[in-house]
Amino acid sequence: MPQAATLALKGLSKQYTVKDQSLAVLQNIDLTVNPGEFVSIVGSSGCGKSTLLRLIIGLELEHEGEILLDGTPITGTSLERGIVFQEHRLLPWLTVEQNVGLGLINAPITEAQKRRAVQEHIELVGLVGFEKALPYQLSGGMAQRVSIARALVNKPEILLLDEPFGALDALTRAHLQQELHRIWRREGITMILVTHDVEEAVFLGDKVVVMEPRPGRIRRIVPVDLPHPRDRAAYRFASVKEDVLREFGGEAPEDRLVAEEVQFPRDVRLSPNISFAL
Amino acid sequence: MIIEASLPESGRLRSAARPARRAPLRLRIAPLAPGLKRLLLSWPFPLAILALWALAAHYEWIAPQVLPAPGVVAHTFADLARSGELFDNLKISLLRVLAGFAAGCAGGLVLGVAMGLSPVFKDYVYPLFRAVSQVPVLGWLPLLMLLLGIDETLKVVLIAKAALVPIAMNTYKGLENVPAQYVEVAKVFGLTRRQLLWKVVFPAALAPIWNGIRYGLTHAWLALVVVELLASSEGLGFMIVYGRQLFQLDLVLAAVVMVGIVGYLMDKGLALIETRLLRWRRVGF
Amino acid sequence: MNALASFTLGLPARLPKALRGWVLPLLLLLLWWAAIRFSWTDSKLLVSVGQVWDRAVEQTTSGALREGLQASLWRDLVGFAIGACVGLLFGAALGFSRLLENMVGPTFHTVKQISLFAWVPLISVWFGLGDSAKVAFLSLAAFFPVALNTFEGIRSVPREFIEVAQVFNLNRRQWLTKVVLPAASPSIFTGLHLGLIYAWLATLGAEYLLVAGKGIGNTMIDGRENFWMDLVVFGMIVVGAVGFTLNWIAGVVETRLLAWRGRAVAQY
Ligand SMILES: Nc1ncnc2c1ncn2[C@@H]1O[C@H](COP(=O)(O)OP(=O)(O)OP(=O)(O)O)[C@@H](O)[C@H]1O
Ligand SMILES: [Mg+2]
Repeated sequence: MPQAATLALKGLSKQYTVKDQSLAVLQNIDLTVNPGEFVSIVGSSGCGKSTLLRLIIGLELEHEGEILLDGTPITGTSLERGIVFQEHRLLPWLTVEQNVGLGLINAPITEAQKRRAVQEHIELVGLVGFEKALPYQLSGGMAQRVSIARALVNKPEILLLDEPFGALDALTRAHLQQELHRIWRREGITMILVTHDVEEAVFLGDKVVVMEPRPGRIRRIVPVDLPHPRDRAAYRFASVKEDVLREFGGEAPEDRLVAEEVQFPRDVRLSPNISFAL
Repeated sequence: MIIEASLPESGRLRSAARPARRAPLRLRIAPLAPGLKRLLLSWPFPLAILALWALAAHYEWIAPQVLPAPGVVAHTFADLARSGELFDNLKISLLRVLAGFAAGCAGGLVLGVAMGLSPVFKDYVYPLFRAVSQVPVLGWLPLLMLLLGIDETLKVVLIAKAALVPIAMNTYKGLENVPAQYVEVAKVFGLTRRQLLWKVVFPAALAPIWNGIRYGLTHAWLALVVVELLASSEGLGFMIVYGRQLFQLDLVLAAVVMVGIVGYLMDKGLALIETRLLRWRRVGF
Repeated sequence: MNALASFTLGLPARLPKALRGWVLPLLLLLLWWAAIRFSWTDSKLLVSVGQVWDRAVEQTTSGALREGLQASLWRDLVGFAIGACVGLLFGAALGFSRLLENMVGPTFHTVKQISLFAWVPLISVWFGLGDSAKVAFLSLAAFFPVALNTFEGIRSVPREFIEVAQVFNLNRRQWLTKVVLPAASPSIFTGLHLGLIYAWLATLGAEYLLVAGKGIGNTMIDGRENFWMDLVVFGMIVVGAVGFTLNWIAGVVETRLLAWRGRAVAQY
């Protein structure tokens, strides 16, 4: 079992510059995530959850405050930290198998071991039979599952998940929640899960971080002191859920509207298919 | 001949992804004056070439009949401009392009719209259109020269053909590829057929149609220069051939520069119109 | 767009789809035939289908067609190969280096505005009228679209994919071969395809303008000068067929190699 590091965010702030105007996206985030802990993050759209994950993974290096792993600041991406992006980001020219294999591309193991690991993870996300499929042949939910497999396959110490189950049906979602929980327990991976589903956050998390927008701040951290396996129907579960939901209710609704308006589209561009003739 | 391909629209470069591993340091320096920096960086290369050219001409490394000095070319250019010869020829060329392009554009739009809106019409016309467009402009030239002689009609017809094909093709494809969802939305809101066309279908197909028009103009210009080189006694292309025959390379180069300037201005003008026309598409970037 | 399929413009929709495309060409042929049959004109430019056919047979059996086509195609391919290679390297260099782009890019974008054929007289002074001048011109014709599209392809690799490469710590070579080149390949192919087309167009142009030697373009020019309409029409058909074949090959290669895009981009 890998011994994960303690992740500490201290006074973390981040701003983007849009058209010469600086836009505060995150402000003064303090958060400690212990090794092997499961932290859920909820918050309205545009409050900076994805940005927070991008900072932790090391894709955004410009910020104020500190991001420390066992006291050392992070300097960039690392195989110890994995991420499932909000959009699946499968490489469209690679098959499912090859996309998952990307997670192991530089791992110090033999090809046979790699193949086995890839196959296991494809099984894990329930995509046996689609090994040779190309991303365009998958549904949104299937693609998302491939990207979960891709992030898990090299067993990172810290795994960041950005709304990984957003595109899934209720059944698959529940199943993958169970699986994620099982992997978390078995492997001792530190997990940070961003979700819009409060029930999911409470079901999986040791604590739930509720964020508020403009600029993104931590509103409250709700501990979830419930034993596993958790029963979604139990009274105590419901009361923690209520607690989290109440934090949402306190927000002015127009905040959300504005936050959504300034949402920066980062979808992959569609190059227009045009014809050309001589 | 025709190909369909994903071509970048001109705005894409600006929004293109930056290289991956940028150092945070550079990010801070960059906003200093990126425009100025770019300007400063862009001049040394052409100036160096010009200097090399001037040196080569000065020390006669290359014979002046093969490469006259840049000063001579500039001088000839100024002379031609002053005597009006340059602009007279330019005017003739531009009028030809304009006439040919207008005809080609109108024809291309009508044909493209008809094929795009009516699958039945498309079934009848498209195969022939396709076959005709497989023969490039220059393939048509000898035939048209025999049929039409070598005066204005030839030029206008050839230029019109050059413009028509990409415009018709892109208009047709653009209309055909309008997402069915949009049309469904329009149906849900009970739009009449006219509203459907003007509020949904044409705006949705505007981008590819516009691309076709851009290519149409580029090809019209290309065709003009060829036809003037081959069969004309006026115009910029003729100036080039004339200079070449007299071995007056300064004249050739001056005319080539003018051709370049016109091409450049047309491209810039189109890009300008495009940013206006297709503004809704760029909102996000 | 099926949703608009209701527009018929009053054309007979009863005719089976597969036959509709033949109506116009057959009408044209009929018109052609009638023009000769009823001698609407006595211009010697009006040649019959039979004459064109005879000419085709004569050109084919005498080896003139093979000779001309061989000369043209050989030049076309050599010129294309040179132009495409230089274009790929140049475009890639510009795509990967911001500094180079800033220094050379503006000049490149300006020079490419010069209408292609305006170069021919200059090239003829510098390289003569023979094959080397033609090949130089064809290389130039292929160079611009290849360079431009390679550059733009590399520059517009979606940032999302670059980040994936970063998250999985791909090394420089993997970054290039697994992410950047595949992502840029559609654009690069477009460039190569355009280069092929422009090179073919330029092949004809070069043969018209630099009248020396053999080639299908020279054949057509001969036909025009001697008022041999049958030869001109035959030449046009050959030129169209070559263009079609080049397009078709490019299309097949493209659909093969870019199958991951999940839709046919080039269809012929
Ligand atoms: N590259 C960028 N440039 C400028 N602004 C950005 C950029 N990325 C994000 N933002 C802004 O930062 C804010 C937070 O974005 P972020 O994607 O982190 O939100 P989020 O909480 O993940 O939202 P959602 O739940 O909708 O995914 C938004 O207001 C967005 O407009
Ligand atoms: Mg997000």
